[in-house]
Amino acid sequence: MIVNNLFLTPVFLPILAASIILIAKSFLPVKARRFCEYLGIIIGLLLPIVIVLLLYPEVINNGSLSIIIGSYTPKIGILYNFDSLSLVMIVLTNLLTLPAWIYSRSAGPSHSYFTALLLLQSATIAGISMTCDIFNLFVCLEVMGLVAYVLIASKQEKSAVFAAFNYMMYSSSSMVFFLLGSFGLYRLTGSLTYQEITKTLVTLSAKEQNLALICLLLMIVPILLRVAIMPLSGWLINAHSKAPHAVSALLSGILIKIPLFILIRVFSISPMMQNLTLVLSYIGSATALIGVLLALSQSDAKKLLAYHSISQIGYIVTAWSLALHYGIDTTLGAVLLIAALFHAFSHAIFKGLLFLSIGTATDAAGNRDVYKIRGVNYMLRQKGEKFPLTMICFFFGALSIMAIPPFNGFFSKTLLTYYIKPSINYTILNIASIGTIASFIKLSRIFLPSKEMKKPIKELPTAKFPISIHLSLIILASLALLTGIFAKEILKLLENIFISTNLKSIKYSIFFSKSNILKTLYTGLVGIFLFIIATSKYGSKILHKLRSLKADFTDQYVAFAITIALLSWFLLV
Amino acid sequence: MIIERILIFLIFITGFIGLISMKNIIKKIIGLNLLSSSIVLLFILEASRIGDEAPFLDDKVQNIVDPIPQALMLTAIVIGVCVTALSLAMAVRLYKTTGSLDITIIKERLENDC
Repeated sequence: MIVNNLFLTPVFLPILAASIILIAKSFLPVKARRFCEYLGIIIGLLLPIVIVLLLYPEVINNGSLSIIIGSYTPKIGILYNFDSLSLVMIVLTNLLTLPAWIYSRSAGPSHSYFTALLLLQSATIAGISMTCDIFNLFVCLEVMGLVAYVLIASKQEKSAVFAAFNYMMYSSSSMVFFLLGSFGLYRLTGSLTYQEITKTLVTLSAKEQNLALICLLLMIVPILLRVAIMPLSGWLINAHSKAPHAVSALLSGILIKIPLFILIRVFSISPMMQNLTLVLSYIGSATALIGVLLALSQSDAKKLLAYHSISQIGYIVTAWSLALHYGIDTTLGAVLLIAALFHAFSHAIFKGLLFLSIGTATDAAGNRDVYKIRGVNYMLRQKGEKFPLTMICFFFGALSIMAIPPFNGFFSKTLLTYYIKPSINYTILNIASIGTIASFIKLSRIFLPSKEMKKPIKELPTAKFPISIHLSLIILASLALLTGIFAKEILKLLENIFISTNLKSIKYSIFFSKSNILKTLYTGLVGIFLFIIATSKYGSKILHKLRSLKADFTDQYVAFAITIALLSWFLLV
Repeated sequence: MIIERILIFLIFITGFIGLISMKNIIKKIIGLNLLSSSIVLLFILEASRIGDEAPFLDDKVQNIVDPIPQALMLTAIVIGVCVTALSLAMAVRLYKTTGSLDITIIKERLENDC
């Protein structure tokens, strides 16, 4: 095997590790099974990170590495292309799967199937991030979906199964449209790889080109469904809030972002796709705003976090689509892409942290209603937590998402909003961040002391607090802090990867400029004000109305149809 | 050729209506199956546009169908089987816990529990 083909290992090693774990599960005694699980995590999650990082100089020098699996001709074989984007995504995925797995050891589903599924998911994500073949993309997306459905349903709770069933029906039926789109492209161009399709598309007549665009749209909308932008996000709330906490962290952290960055390649198939980018950026901003409003109205703690995932993905979609609008070869476009990636990265960290810490807190409280839970620390101490680490980690995550320095959310949000400044998106996103602050003040109230808390604990708890929960929280919290403190270095690294010219263009002075500090301050103050309004009599009435809005199973398909109609109108007219 | 396409379209529409309007979750799963089967048929029909013999790469066999859609559909069928199996497993679990297969009743009972 040639050294350059090593980039296929992120796909094959996790599958190998998953099979080791499953074989061990069937044939070996319990102790050996545990050992095999740890071995599997090392082989399947950590080794690929090392290998991918070793390939970093190659990617910088050559731009990308590619291989046709099985050495077939390009027309038949599956082309895999490893470039800087795939590198970033593979590292991100494997790095964040690790804390979620550690957390699941004591809190979540801890059987071997769960570990094997996590590894399979990592393999499919690596596949998605490298494939250049439409049909292979379909297969990888479907397998990723299947793993996600099983992971959601792995909580032994009725409503989790129902949420998984709903998600499955919706996303599998939309993937049928993806298949229809790829059928159309194959029919029109006779090939399945992106480059070949681009080459053939130019030679087609105008009518056929329009048909090809519709086919591309049929492929894009199911992927946008996985990303959960606003009209298509009906499935996300229940799926993310009913899943086990470790899975929620993964779903919100990684699974909704990977498909978005893959879309860059699908968009590059035809230059006509440029027509969609501007409207997508508006949809993204609207998603950010509506998501945060709905988040503010929720009473279920995990649903509140799930709506925040939608809102934050709105930020990322806005920056991402504007990057495509300017073209990712231009400097502004590349900077926006870096901003989107960096925000995706920090969101993955702090949302994982929030889901895990809120999950721990609500488990201790035995209830998830934000209006009812108070004094979580007391309950956690009864469970054996000596030092209020869960609370501290929660506040690390909350300060990150509220964009308070020195946490990573501050840097990524500032970068993201600074470069989209002259547009209406800028205003909408700033209003959305006010809502974020208000809703996190609301969520933090669960840590307020309660009356019960004043009573001294009569007997010291005998149960030990599981160390794996603390370990995973500490990993994520320190990542949130460190990526904030070293934001400049990380951005420089990303600049090296994505901007090939020596023109360094990110202005690092924007973070601590006077106007930005003032903006953060004002946003915080208005956020507190909004919180006070929201808890007032009229505010809570409105919020109650918002909360009682419910979507039906059929409504999701209406949203799907509307999105296709809207986007095709923008694409063709 | 045009008649086959109309028939495939009818299967597609039947599946879609089943998926959306049926209350019974087993019927919804059948609808999803019909939906993906119609696309499989569409691909296979398309492959047979250029020939009608099975695609064995042998000197004696000529006038073969396009082999790529057939290979693709083999994979798509496998995925379809996985989706069906998983969704049926979930349907069984839902029926056991809520005692109904009707999606609105399941939803109501789950909400009452919470």
